[in-house]
Amino acid sequence: METLTTFAQLVAGGLLTGLVFALVALGLTLVYGVMDVVNFAHGEFLMLAMYAALGLGLLGIDLFAGLPLVAAALFLFGIVVYRVFVRRLLAGPPEATVFGTFGLLVLLQGTAQALFSSDYFSAPNRPLQGTVHLGPIALEQSALAEGFGALVLTGLVYAFVEYTESGRAMRAVAEDRIAATLMGINVQRINALAFGIGSACVGAAGALLMLSYPVYPTVGAQFALTAFVVVALGGFGSIEGALIAALLVGLLEVLGGFYLSPELKMVPVYLAYLAVVLLRPQGLLGRR
Amino acid sequence: MPNVSTRLCLATALAFAVAPSAATRAADPPADIVIGSILPLTGPSAQTGAGLKAAQELAADLVNGHVSYPLPAVGQNGIPGLGHARIKLVFADSQGKPDQARAAAEELITQDHAVALIGAYISSTTATASQVAERYGIPFLNPDSSAPSLTQRGLKWFFRATPNDATFAQNFYDFLADLKTTKKIAIHKVAVVNEDGLFGTGSGDAEESIGKSSGYDIVARIPYPATTTEVNAEVEKIKSAAPDVLMMSSYLPDALLFMRGLKDQAVAVQSIFGQDAGFIDPGFIRTEGDDAEGVFTREVFSLDIKQRNKSVPLIDQLFRARFGGKPLDGNTARDFTGVLVLADALDRAHSTDPASIRAALIKTNIPGNRTLMPWKSIHFDPSGQNDGGVGIIEQIQNGKYETVWPFDVAVKAVVWPMPAWKH
Amino acid sequence: MSARPHLIALATIVALGLLYAFGSKNAVALDLVFTLFLYATLGQSWNWISGYAGNISFGHAIFFGCGAYAAALCTNAGLSPWLAVPGGALVAAGLALVTGFPTLALRGHYFSIATIAVGALVDTYVRTQGWLGSANGFELPIKNGFAWLQFSNKGPYVALALALFALVQLATIALERSRLGYYLRALRANHAAAASVGIDERRSKLLAFAACATFAALAGVLYAQYTLFVDPPSTLALSISIDIALIGVVGGIGTLWGPLAGASVYVLLAKAVALRLGGSGRGYDLVIYGAIICLIAAWRPHGIVGSIIDALRRRRGALEAA
Repeated sequence: METLTTFAQLVAGGLLTGLVFALVALGLTLVYGVMDVVNFAHGEFLMLAMYAALGLGLLGIDLFAGLPLVAAALFLFGIVVYRVFVRRLLAGPPEATVFGTFGLLVLLQGTAQALFSSDYFSAPNRPLQGTVHLGPIALEQSALAEGFGALVLTGLVYAFVEYTESGRAMRAVAEDRIAATLMGINVQRINALAFGIGSACVGAAGALLMLSYPVYPTVGAQFALTAFVVVALGGFGSIEGALIAALLVGLLEVLGGFYLSPELKMVPVYLAYLAVVLLRPQGLLGRR
Repeated sequence: MPNVSTRLCLATALAFAVAPSAATRAADPPADIVIGSILPLTGPSAQTGAGLKAAQELAADLVNGHVSYPLPAVGQNGIPGLGHARIKLVFADSQGKPDQARAAAEELITQDHAVALIGAYISSTTATASQVAERYGIPFLNPDSSAPSLTQRGLKWFFRATPNDATFAQNFYDFLADLKTTKKIAIHKVAVVNEDGLFGTGSGDAEESIGKSSGYDIVARIPYPATTTEVNAEVEKIKSAAPDVLMMSSYLPDALLFMRGLKDQAVAVQSIFGQDAGFIDPGFIRTEGDDAEGVFTREVFSLDIKQRNKSVPLIDQLFRARFGGKPLDGNTARDFTGVLVLADALDRAHSTDPASIRAALIKTNIPGNRTLMPWKSIHFDPSGQNDGGVGIIEQIQNGKYETVWPFDVAVKAVVWPMPAWKH
Repeated sequence: MSARPHLIALATIVALGLLYAFGSKNAVALDLVFTLFLYATLGQSWNWISGYAGNISFGHAIFFGCGAYAAALCTNAGLSPWLAVPGGALVAAGLALVTGFPTLALRGHYFSIATIAVGALVDTYVRTQGWLGSANGFELPIKNGFAWLQFSNKGPYVALALALFALVQLATIALERSRLGYYLRALRANHAAAASVGIDERRSKLLAFAACATFAALAGVLYAQYTLFVDPPSTLALSISIDIALIGVVGGIGTLWGPLAGASVYVLLAKAVALRLGGSGRGYDLVIYGAIICLIAAWRPHGIVGSIIDALRRRRGALEAA
């Protein structure tokens, strides 16, 4: 019975971990889907969002009230970064976006270190620090909030892309940029909007993550790395794919950590990615 | 046409012109003694490196100054044994990388003509830099790297002032033994958890092997990836192993994750022993608040220990003035001390010849209470390791770190077991 | 384009380099020159798979690590590190074949993420194996002499780095003019068209991948013998792979002299920035480094050499039009 409880606990933990990855990966896959750009500075956007949430927290605004503010701030930031920088990268050869966003990564990390130092800061007076018990299984309240946030955000983005005019325009651009232009869609505007919304998603993610993590200049890197694998595994550009892949990765990481060893917890994740793309080069649900 | 007498006059005039300056040149102070310092001034540890630099500079200034403190080599206007020559620190950046540290050491030796080197905090950079020193026959003083392997290389020119991770692990078990004799607390089952980098692995290895040879039951050894964002499996493993005491070598983000997980899973350990790092980060108490009560951590230094050297608060003040109000901590106190060890050796060497400095270092014997550190002494064993060093153990009580061991320098009594977490 | 000017340039560089290597007494400058040619070799090695073959890799460090660890293992077992030269090269080539076979047919970012996955797997493996030094890594015992590939002064190291770079550069000049090079260009231009004329994508790319992996391994052996210390963060980490990639890209991906240009920038920048801005602990060096990469990406995305080639083409075009 004990082993069954342990297994159930690990599965629950794995799913919640997966939802955190989904939360972070959402913005990344949206941006890629629309404009074929993998934003390697994605983790740094997350880091900035976390600092923003911290800042609001120090001003007395709690994490939930602050969430829409942080998302809005990141939305604007994303639009600016697109207009000033990413647009230029898109005009160049394919590798320009790769190393351009890498440069952005280094620049943002350095700036954060210069402004905030390398010290660790947790949000003050964090809510939801308790535990919820579901029978013998213990679940962190903050993890549940983050998971709920992930699902809501995914739903919202999905609905936006499916049912709104701009969303449909985005799908058109994602499918065929030239045709979309011919149909009168302003591709630059759609790209900026997608980048902005992707950044807003990461903004929301950052605010939620401050429930459980401290912020420091390199905090984004570790989340982002797994997010990249999640997005690729799910198929670049697919929102549903990212969610499914994220849950899978979370389960593999936690179960791998227990049944193999914690040192090897990422091994099943990477092996799964390699196995999937060997059989399906476009990931689980990616476009071919 | 200048005749002989004119030339004679000119020559004499010249001689008089030159002579006084020659005389004053002889009275000039002796050349500065160059000590090369290798530190991570850029890269991930840059912030720590900046503090270490400030601490070393403070020490050098005090050595070159005239204000006296109950510390070795301080306040004597330079090095008396070398005609009051002043020491001069020349810094080179290791960037936190072993190959850069090597280059930095080369530069300091060949270009700046350092007669001794000090550095380099990150153990892998200390390894390469000290190998260069060994090649060139230059003494290398390491004040702050804890990987045990550094003094197991059979090097002749390497001296380490700080205790290493093996000593720190031993401290935990000595502490447990003392608790048994004085408070009849009997611990059998120990779980060792560590991040999988150089620090955690060395620390965890030492804790496991010393624990086994001391007769403890190491019920779990759990290395985990340093950059992990969740610890579900690790906590479950700890829970299944049901240890009495949990020994952890973690940085702050993972330490916090573990605290969270242990609380949620209601893992009932009698106590948690942290090995420095994340557990002494100010963010630990700030984030955990009351839940941090009772956690032990090994430290290398404390501003508050009984029988402390009178200069501790004074040096702390001086350091704060130099480094943005930040107090002296284990790293900066050790680097400060390292400079004094070199100055003390230079004084006894009566020479800047590296071999003489090395001979003087070998004879170093500074009593612990003449330093800022809670050590018995500074004295190097044949492998270059200071065998008089010891860590201290602090416990978080009422939101502060209180020194509780060794008992003769303790400020407060041990609270055992850890208070239960409120949920 | 004739190979003659490139060969002359290479010969000149080697000659000047050797003169400096054995003439200079400046240990600091020699160290910079060594690092320059070592990184240029790594960059060129990366260039084969990411530039000429078009599969951008973020996992190239593993091949570098093969060589470095081979050297460490040999010397710690009392054997000459010269054994690590074929040893490390074989392991690297094998690793390239094994990991390339399933992944080289992947498009764009899928391949890049796959290289990250492979890199992480190798890093994790080494960290968990005691015989590979685990997280502690290896120090290489101090020895002396050509047989041990260790020298008490820098001249011979610089000469070896030069020789290695020359070797890789010659191989690249040959690649550009070979059938394999032609196949790779065709594949880069249009996969479908290339396949339709019978070019075997997998075979061509595997060949290039295995070859360039051996170059990286050779660089790894030399690095280990120079630094005398090998551990996962300094030889296998993602950050090393990224450094190598940035050198290739800043210099000009897919160009012959790009890696040397990129390595020059990297070495100069790292040194200059560290000297000026170190000591405050506030990361200003990263800000500058990041800003420079962003500027190059946005305004000169073909890299230094790529931009020069573009400019030359434009001028030639203008001359022809005139």
